[in-house]
Amino acid sequence: MNEQADQGHLRTPPGRLFRKYLYSIVALAFAALAITTGFDVWFSYREQKQLLAAIQREQAASAAIQIGQFVGQIENQIRWLSRLPPELSTNEDDRLNAIRLLRLSPAIAEIAELDAQGREQVRVSRRVADRVGSKTDLSTSPAFRGANESRAYYGPVYFFGDTEPFMTLATRGTGRQPNVVVAEVNLRFIWDLVAGIRVGNTGKAYVVDRTGVLIAHPDLWPALRRSDLTGHADVRAALDGVGPPSGGLVREDLSGQRVLSTYATVPSLGWLVFVELPLSEAYAPIYASIGRSTFLLVALLAIAVLVSLWLSRRMTVPIQILTQGARRIGSGDLGLRLAIRTGDELEALGDQFNRMAAHLRDSYATLEGKVIERTSELEKARDQALAEHDAAERARSIAVQANETKSRFLAVVSHELRTPLNGVMGVLQLLDDGNLSEVQRRHLATAAASGETLIALVDAILEYARLEASTEALETRDFRLDQLIEAAADLMRPQAFDKGLTFDLASDATVNIAVHGDPVRLNRILLNLIGNAIKFTPRGGIALTAAAEQLDKHVLLHITVRDTGIGIAPDMHERIFEDFVQADDSIARRFGGTGLGLAIARRLTRLMRGELTVKSTPGAGSTFTLDVPLGRAASGIAQGALPPPSRQLNVLLVDDDPVNCEVGEAILNRLGHHPTIARNGASAIELARDQAFDVILMDLHMPDMDGVEAASRIGKLGLPKRPRIIAVTADVSTLARERLAGAGIAKVVSKPILINALREAIEDTQDEPAAAQLAAGALIDRHFLDDQKELLGAAQIAKLHHLLQETSDRLIEDITKAAAAGDRKQLARSAHQLGSAAGALGLVRLFERCREVELAAPSMSPPECQSAARDLAALQKASISALDDLLASAG
Amino acid sequence: MTERPAPARVVPAVARRDLLRLAGATAAGWLVLGATPDRMRIVATLTALPLDDELTKRSMTEAATTRLGGLIAGLRQRGWVEGVNFRFEIRSSFGGPDRLKTAVQELIDLKPDVILTGSTVETAAVLAATKAIPIVFATSNDPVGNGFVESLARPGGNVTGFTSSTAEMGSKWFQLIKEAVPDMARVGVLFNPASTPRAGRFFLDSLEQEAATTGVDVVLAPIGKAAEIDGAISRFCEPPKAAMISLVDSFLVVNRQAIVAATAKYRVPMIYPFHYFMDAGGLMSYGPTLEVRSADYVDLILRGTKAGDLPVQSPRKYELLINRTVARSLGLTIPFTLLARADEIRE
Repeated sequence: MNEQADQGHLRTPPGRLFRKYLYSIVALAFAALAITTGFDVWFSYREQKQLLAAIQREQAASAAIQIGQFVGQIENQIRWLSRLPPELSTNEDDRLNAIRLLRLSPAIAEIAELDAQGREQVRVSRRVADRVGSKTDLSTSPAFRGANESRAYYGPVYFFGDTEPFMTLATRGTGRQPNVVVAEVNLRFIWDLVAGIRVGNTGKAYVVDRTGVLIAHPDLWPALRRSDLTGHADVRAALDGVGPPSGGLVREDLSGQRVLSTYATVPSLGWLVFVELPLSEAYAPIYASIGRSTFLLVALLAIAVLVSLWLSRRMTVPIQILTQGARRIGSGDLGLRLAIRTGDELEALGDQFNRMAAHLRDSYATLEGKVIERTSELEKARDQALAEHDAAERARSIAVQANETKSRFLAVVSHELRTPLNGVMGVLQLLDDGNLSEVQRRHLATAAASGETLIALVDAILEYARLEASTEALETRDFRLDQLIEAAADLMRPQAFDKGLTFDLASDATVNIAVHGDPVRLNRILLNLIGNAIKFTPRGGIALTAAAEQLDKHVLLHITVRDTGIGIAPDMHERIFEDFVQADDSIARRFGGTGLGLAIARRLTRLMRGELTVKSTPGAGSTFTLDVPLGRAASGIAQGALPPPSRQLNVLLVDDDPVNCEVGEAILNRLGHHPTIARNGASAIELARDQAFDVILMDLHMPDMDGVEAASRIGKLGLPKRPRIIAVTADVSTLARERLAGAGIAKVVSKPILINALREAIEDTQDEPAAAQLAAGALIDRHFLDDQKELLGAAQIAKLHHLLQETSDRLIEDITKAAAAGDRKQLARSAHQLGSAAGALGLVRLFERCREVELAAPSMSPPECQSAARDLAALQKASISALDDLLASAG
Repeated sequence: MTERPAPARVVPAVARRDLLRLAGATAAGWLVLGATPDRMRIVATLTALPLDDELTKRSMTEAATTRLGGLIAGLRQRGWVEGVNFRFEIRSSFGGPDRLKTAVQELIDLKPDVILTGSTVETAAVLAATKAIPIVFATSNDPVGNGFVESLARPGGNVTGFTSSTAEMGSKWFQLIKEAVPDMARVGVLFNPASTPRAGRFFLDSLEQEAATTGVDVVLAPIGKAAEIDGAISRFCEPPKAAMISLVDSFLVVNRQAIVAATAKYRVPMIYPFHYFMDAGGLMSYGPTLEVRSADYVDLILRGTKAGDLPVQSPRKYELLINRTVARSLGLTIPFTLLARADEIRE
């Protein structure tokens, strides 16, 4: 019950407390009033009834007394006559006295005076002639006898002339010979008396004689009819001497009306005086009293309801104010002050609420100050960290720049070295004209061998430089894994055998699959590892194992190359993968080489997101383990069947070499495209102008003009649909690539042309989907972002996020404009700004790319600028999108 | 049973009647159909007195000294107001049989609700004309003997009323005039046999019996016409000493002025049965008080009580009136016994 009530309060339905109070008070008031009124009405009803009966009894008694007095008076008068001393009264005097008495009492119709013997002396009448001294013997009359027997005689009521009630009254005088006076009394004079008895407004009194005959009634008719009322039960009972009921009797009167009836007996006569009051009148005061009480009850109830309303309101309004106040304070509105002026405990409670709210507000103010202080500290720390980060970045970029300078230097140097070396080698070949002495030939052979070693060195440096400059890109396609491994083994096996080493290849059956990857780079890694093993193994042999593990989305290639060579000291296990490092200088002197092989292998492995590790014991040989994830090949490659192209394309193949042309045409036909052949740059431009080509395969080295120039000219033709130009070359140096980009060549296919590589190049109609590629890598440093979030709070981050969106959009716009205008300074500045903004929210990829662009901008060509701008735009889009997702999911 | 509309209903009844008058001719039908309780009642009366007689005049203001005045006043006390809810019609027989018939017929034609009759002659005439219209007789000395009613307690038929003097009153009148004129040797009894009960015999028996006990001769003086009054009285002015008794007779009441004048003229002491004669200058009268009682019965009858159910009422009070001036002029000394008895002594 209490629990329910509590829950109810928690929900605080409006007005519930109010109604509860209201109903309670009204119910209490109603109960009290109703009970009081009920008892009051009941008791007053009873009392009034008793009172009414009592009043009526009094009235009846009073009427009886009046009638008794009336008769008693007449009796006294005739007694006075009877007691006159005989010597005072002669007959004539007697007559005169009797006449005087008649005059006194109109009700007496006749008086007779008898002597003690019952002889009539005088008779005076109103109706007949008086008689004096008639001596008529009346001694046997009931009146005479009755008067002699008792003090007074009351005769029965008799009717004269059928209608007039009369009664004989007789008294006896005193003395030895007492006279008896007999009077005939007309009882109709009692009627006036009875009619004069007021019983309420409509009630009446009537008189019944000892025999039950009605002798007086205010209504003429019932009295005149000499009604015999002995048939009425109450009259019968009264005649039998039963007393009237104390509360009166309710019965029907002569006219059928319901009346409250009671009676009294007239003393000495034995007559009954009935008093009747119609119930409608008798109970009218009671009904009026009940009506008054009911009205009073209703009125008091109405007042009670009003008072209850007022009281309930008075009680609930402060509570409601308190509830609302508590709710508002709970929701943080601490400035609220409750205004309760009831002057009681509720007001005290309200004041306590106000004090509590004030305390809370003070506490919050202190807390807020602390938070602000703390936040500013954190901001300072962050700024410092960012500054440090910037410094580190600057240092790093300087180092990177230095490294790149080194790489470019190496590349340039090696490239520039190669040209004279080629000349040297050619001259060395020309020197041997057959006339050389053995010694000369041996010198020449040594020189040639040295030259080739030098060329190999230069090539290695060149490749390393490319890798270092990050210009090396994977050229992926589908290929047979087993064929690649076997080809590598076949290539290196003779070298091993030449050194008297064994060469074992253990290919697991799992490698008999087609995969998608860069076979050229993978091949180079394998050749490097095997070559290295052969190089550092004086005795024993080489063992190559290969296995492929099928994972959900890719294939993990696992290759080990074990040798029985000199081994590597544990402290060198990692260093050997660094640039220009060999196990020790003596080894370099003993085995030669640049020390770049393993560095290149590891860089290529990392480029392929693989792992290259070594386990080795000095003197006991080494085991290199290569783990590379490769994509699954498109179905059908394994079977050698080519999938049909998504659509047939018109392809222009430009090559001066007829063999290459034929091979290329055959491949294109096999791929389902429609090839057209151009044997030089000029004819290619002409054909491109005349016909619509989807793709142009451009050989870069042609006699009349090189492919880059031809591509530029085709680009300048202003063709409605510009064909995609794919370069076919063996030269993939950075310089070459930069030139290609400037001429609008997006793609390069290396020679010799492999069918799958060509298919992919032709069908890949879209430029590299940068966003998709980048999405794979971590665009955002989540840890950094989380730290920032913790430091600044979600709201601040949201604000920064919004700000970043706006500024980065604007900056990308600036970058694009600057790139289009070739304004490198502006490009660098905007890239710097974008980088800073991106760094604030941990968009690391964008940050890094911006740094790169910023640093490279001064030396960038306009196409490079545009490419960089596009790159940045794509990256910005992807990064912002990733950030949106991240914040949305976190938020 | 008796119904008793409150007097308050009188005023609304008037208002409604006004409306009915406005309704005009159609109201007649309406009256017949449904307005019975408020119908204008007709109370008719037949008297032997001429209509210019004082006794037929009715005072509307005071309690009546005359029968008709008392009736009107009594009815008003009971809620009946003349001209409002009842109409009063009076006809006179002028004491003669020829006019009587016409008067009765006129009254019957009015279809009255009740007819009051003055005396026995008129009662008999109306009773002969209708057995339906209730009749209330103001005075009748012997209604049973006249065949008007079956018994006094239960009259039956359509008639009831009030009795006047009983037969024994003859002896009473004789005793009283004998006390006033103690030396009288003969007594003359004046009456009209046509209008006196049983042609005078109703009272004469007791009168003659009483006279015999005192040795006074009874001399009958029946008259039939007013012209005979003078002659009848003049016969008692000569010795032997005589006094006269006037019986209860409407004819004598009608001609009371002539009778009183004749008694004064011939110095004949006479006792009368009604106080009307005293008003005309008579010597003395003794008889029942003419109480106002007819209003009770008219009221009951108008409210629906059958006349035959109402008992015939007898007189309650008797009064003796004596004019001492007249007595002195006649040379009479009124004894104590009479003075003690007299209800009113006029000088």
